Amino acid sequence: MKTLPILLEFLGRRLDAEGRRWLETTRAELARGVDLERFCVLFSMASRHAPRRPLAPDAAELAAAQKSLPGWNPERWTTLEALRAALVLSRPDLESEAAAQAVEELFRYADMGELCAGYKLLPHLPKPERFLWRAGEGARSSMKAVYESTCCDSPYATAHFDGISWHQAVIKALFIEAPLWRVSAVDTRIDSELARMALDLADERRSAGRPVNPELWICLGAHAGARGLAALERELASGPPRGRAAAALGLARAGARERLQALVALEKDTFVHRTMTQALAGDCSSRAWAALDPSVAGA
Amino acid sequence: MRFFDPHIHMISRTTDDYEAMSKAGVRAVIEPAFWIGQPRTTLGSFVDYFSQILGWERFRASQFGITHYCAIGLNSKEANNEPLAKEVLEILERFVLKEGVVAVGEIGYDEISPAEERAYVAQLALARKHDMVVMVHSPHRDKKRGIQRSLSVAAECGQPMTKLVIDHNNEETVQDVLDAGAWAAFTIYPHTKMGSERMVELVRKYGPERIIVDSSADWGISDPLSVPKTAKLMLERGIDPAWVEKVTWQNALDAYAQSGQIDVAALQGTAVIDQRAIFGENSVLRGQSPRIDADKVPN
Repeated sequence: MKTLPILLEFLGRRLDAEGRRWLETTRAELARGVDLERFCVLFSMASRHAPRRPLAPDAAELAAAQKSLPGWNPERWTTLEALRAALVLSRPDLESEAAAQAVEELFRYADMGELCAGYKLLPHLPKPERFLWRAGEGARSSMKAVYESTCCDSPYATAHFDGISWHQAVIKALFIEAPLWRVSAVDTRIDSELARMALDLADERRSAGRPVNPELWICLGAHAGARGLAALERELASGPPRGRAAAALGLARAGARERLQALVALEKDTFVHRTMTQALAGDCSSRAWAALDPSVAGA
Repeated sequence: MRFFDPHIHMISRTTDDYEAMSKAGVRAVIEPAFWIGQPRTTLGSFVDYFSQILGWERFRASQFGITHYCAIGLNSKEANNEPLAKEVLEILERFVLKEGVVAVGEIGYDEISPAEERAYVAQLALARKHDMVVMVHSPHRDKKRGIQRSLSVAAECGQPMTKLVIDHNNEETVQDVLDAGAWAAFTIYPHTKMGSERMVELVRKYGPERIIVDSSADWGISDPLSVPKTAKLMLERGIDPAWVEKVTWQNALDAYAQSGQIDVAALQGTAVIDQRAIFGENSVLRGQSPRIDADKVPN
């Protein structure tokens, strides 16, 4: 796999001398072959040799990661996760059934940190479709960090989930307020069924007197239809600034360009105005929601 | 004041308890693996229990500004089901090395049977292999002999006495434990074990060195505020405040920080409660406003 050399480079720059020594010895041990017990223990013990600190890849490292596996963004990985992934990828028998069982064993005995590392690793394994059921467990998880490790900054869900799993995973992001815009290539799998589910959810929220998650509008794409356009108009008329900016992006995605041009001329809120202008200039992919995400610096 | 309750089974307690503990100044707890009031019948029950105390329970505690550590082990009662005990011992290494596991425990004797001794010795060997602290549960019946045997078997297995905590002591056993060089913990329990008033006299007589107060609160009649209540009584009865701090905070920290799994600097700092953090959609908050506490926990 192409991922391993990249991870080893990341780790070489971040582990201390002891950590680098441990990685080297452990990779040699893995190369000789280890039993299930030892494999699980090594995966756990990694926490004693690498910090949980953010990996904080620089621009060149991010570009290398993107190139090796499109859709992979290690921006939110930790050094410990990189170490755990490197250990698994160091097995010489990764394509075998035994290795697939060993990976499943890691998940069965995992604590939360190990679960996150495991789900982040899945798209990097050979024949990743073998782990479809496991990835579904990650997307069903009630632990937000685990969900994000499965679905965000990773090409896995978009590339491998079937329709039911995909729709559920996307709507689940809205429920647990995981960043849907970080699901790699989410725009490539928007369909009318997803739009309907999102609009039902918007109605449910409004009936309960609750705000609509601005990322919900990502799900309409080009499938808004008359019902979707009405829902977007309602958000633009009465929503908070983030919701209104998101609805403007939604209008642009639905192809309602003329309507958006009419609205931008009257817009008083500078933030919403800026978003509308960007949308008219064609910047309305799901990545545009980054600017609306309060967890992103500068948003 | 701030308190460390180094023995409490939070899995059996409510959020009301967490709230009260937080208000009373409990800043950190250790949840040792124990039985669940009745014997388990399958390995899977143990696996899920270990995962739960390491995962969801730790998260619940964090929402109240309480740092949650674990001790992992096969308890003495269930060591008597030898076929099952054998299976548990085989997977234990997968759990004792996880983050925040500060000891192998609670292990030791209940009926002082040969099966219990085999499990105790096997787990002492595991502790030696990874240089871990051991938390020993002492029996209700034939306590004095049980504790003497716990100490001598641990010594025979090469366990350093500085990394051995004997729990549930009383007036009849404390001298043996202190003479051996181990830590002597006392469980303050209504009706059985040790009451607060007796504890005051014990500290007056033996001083604060290597003495630890805990609640061992669980699913039975027990009090999760035993530690702060006992501290209060000690102060009222004229025990030196520095001594009170040692037996209700510092000694537990010194004993278990030997594991390398406690970030002492972070624990000494100010606790900040932010209940907005959620563990997936399973927030412990059910509709009420989050309590966001920028100040320190009221002492």
